[in-house]
Amino acid sequence: MSLGFELKKKLRGFSVDVGLKVDEELMVLFGPSGAGKTMILKMISGLVRPDEGVVEVSSARLFDSREGVDLPIRLRRIGYVFQDYALFPHKTVFGNISYGIDYLEDSEIKRRVGELVELMRLTGLEDRYPHELSGGQKQRTALARTLATSPRVLLLDEPFSALDYQVREKLRSDLLNIHKLYPITTILVTHDLEEAFMLGKRISVINNGKIEQTGSREDVFYRPRTRNVARFMGVKNIFSGTVTGFDSAHTIIRSRDLGAIKAHTPEGASYGVGKEVSFCIRPEEVIVIRPDKVLDNRVQDNLFEGEITETTGKGSTHTMYMKIGSGGALLKIELPNFVLRKLALATGKRIRVSLKKEDIWIIP
Amino acid sequence: MDMFPLYLTVKVSFTATVFTVAVGLVVAWTMAKKDFFGKDFLDVIVMQPLVIPPTVLGYYLLTLLGRSSPVGRFLEDVLGFQLVFTWKGAVVAAFISSLPLFVKPARAAFEGVGAELEDAARLLGKSEIYIIRTVTLPLAWRGILAGAVMSFARATGEFGATLMVAGNIPGVTQTLPIAIYDAVQSADDYTANVLVGVITLFSFTVLYLAGRFTRGRF
Repeated sequence: MSLGFELKKKLRGFSVDVGLKVDEELMVLFGPSGAGKTMILKMISGLVRPDEGVVEVSSARLFDSREGVDLPIRLRRIGYVFQDYALFPHKTVFGNISYGIDYLEDSEIKRRVGELVELMRLTGLEDRYPHELSGGQKQRTALARTLATSPRVLLLDEPFSALDYQVREKLRSDLLNIHKLYPITTILVTHDLEEAFMLGKRISVINNGKIEQTGSREDVFYRPRTRNVARFMGVKNIFSGTVTGFDSAHTIIRSRDLGAIKAHTPEGASYGVGKEVSFCIRPEEVIVIRPDKVLDNRVQDNLFEGEITETTGKGSTHTMYMKIGSGGALLKIELPNFVLRKLALATGKRIRVSLKKEDIWIIP
Repeated sequence: MDMFPLYLTVKVSFTATVFTVAVGLVVAWTMAKKDFFGKDFLDVIVMQPLVIPPTVLGYYLLTLLGRSSPVGRFLEDVLGFQLVFTWKGAVVAAFISSLPLFVKPARAAFEGVGAELEDAARLLGKSEIYIIRTVTLPLAWRGILAGAVMSFARATGEFGATLMVAGNIPGVTQTLPIAIYDAVQSADDYTANVLVGVITLFSFTVLYLAGRFTRGRF
């Protein structure tokens, strides 16, 4: 089943205007809180009525403002898992999972629920009430309750946001396995970058009610099309400059902050000399050069020297900020801890870095 | 001692509560779950008996249901239903004055059932009626029961409006509160004390039970 939609809705303070086509895949809607992601799911499911638009599942219209089609929620067969699960507090795990299929014969209900209970690792908890479950168990019960009805499309609204880090990790990989088993057209909403990257083969970046970019996770992560996408993807080092020339496969940019920069020309780029562009480099792609090292070909472009202004450790990596260029711009660098130790890097120390031209991405 | 007032009060209150719950459930659910034009106005109308003097309420009912109004004439001539100065009139008075005491807690109970739970049921393919039966009512029944108990208690104590509509006819429309008034007026202390004792005991029991329902210890 494929899901296609085009939705427009004016809300207080901002408006949603999006269109997307999703196949039997797990598509991630990623964006900051308040970007309208949940609103999109609500409009697809029928919980909120769009001002204008179309929702269709495999070419069957669920909603069409122009033709006056607005299928009631209960007939849409769209599975929806709420952020806080919305389990029925007066029903057991079994009662919750079987709720949507309670019109079937007893033996069939038992069989289907039993299958899902096992798949969701809920065995032995069938008679518990929601308040007797852990967060992860609640989440799995909610997912099982939805899957029991064999939905044509599955919508997951921040399904892991209420869970501890460790539980979240486990449940994310669970979800990927379940999706392999039940390859339902799925949209997952999240504002967690790590989650988006781990779960979404394709990611759609939503900002302020609009889609900024839809693409493979690598595209969105390494080749952002807008400054916003770059920012949301954690690129952090975003600069701007003017194109001054080309050199075979490279673009030369004159930047106020960094001076002359040489970067790989992205495929299909259509800018010419004189164009204002933004360019960026991920903090983990910045190369810190050992002082005694002889520069080889790979790192001889875009060399900068400067002082480390800040060092923060976070688990397995360290984040440093380095003053770069004459304008006082800061470059964010992320390094594994062992590199930091080996090079004895610390705040105040002067270092030399290279921004490899193939790792600089020019935002067209 | 004449036990008719006690019997009549139980009969009137019970009948009134049946109507209160039936009508009140619809009103409370609609006010809790739907948005419509005139919702605030309906709220004011339903809650009016809480603040309006019972005699004024009684006067309205008397005027509305008496032979001089079209409604009263219709009830009497077409349906053969005489309300004024009958026990049925006492039921109407008790019903109107106890309705707000049912609607308030019942509405709060319905509002307490999160819209998300009902949405979840809709998304699982269920109809509105089915959702009310399997989600809304099972989660709101404590508040509904508490409201029913409170409105029953209010009905047993109804005095002013009942007196206006049903009058004070011993053996026909004389309810317990009116009988107490009568006994005191005629200096029959013994009857007054017994009846007051009965009502007091009853009221204590009711409030205690209502409290237990709402706190969920049953």
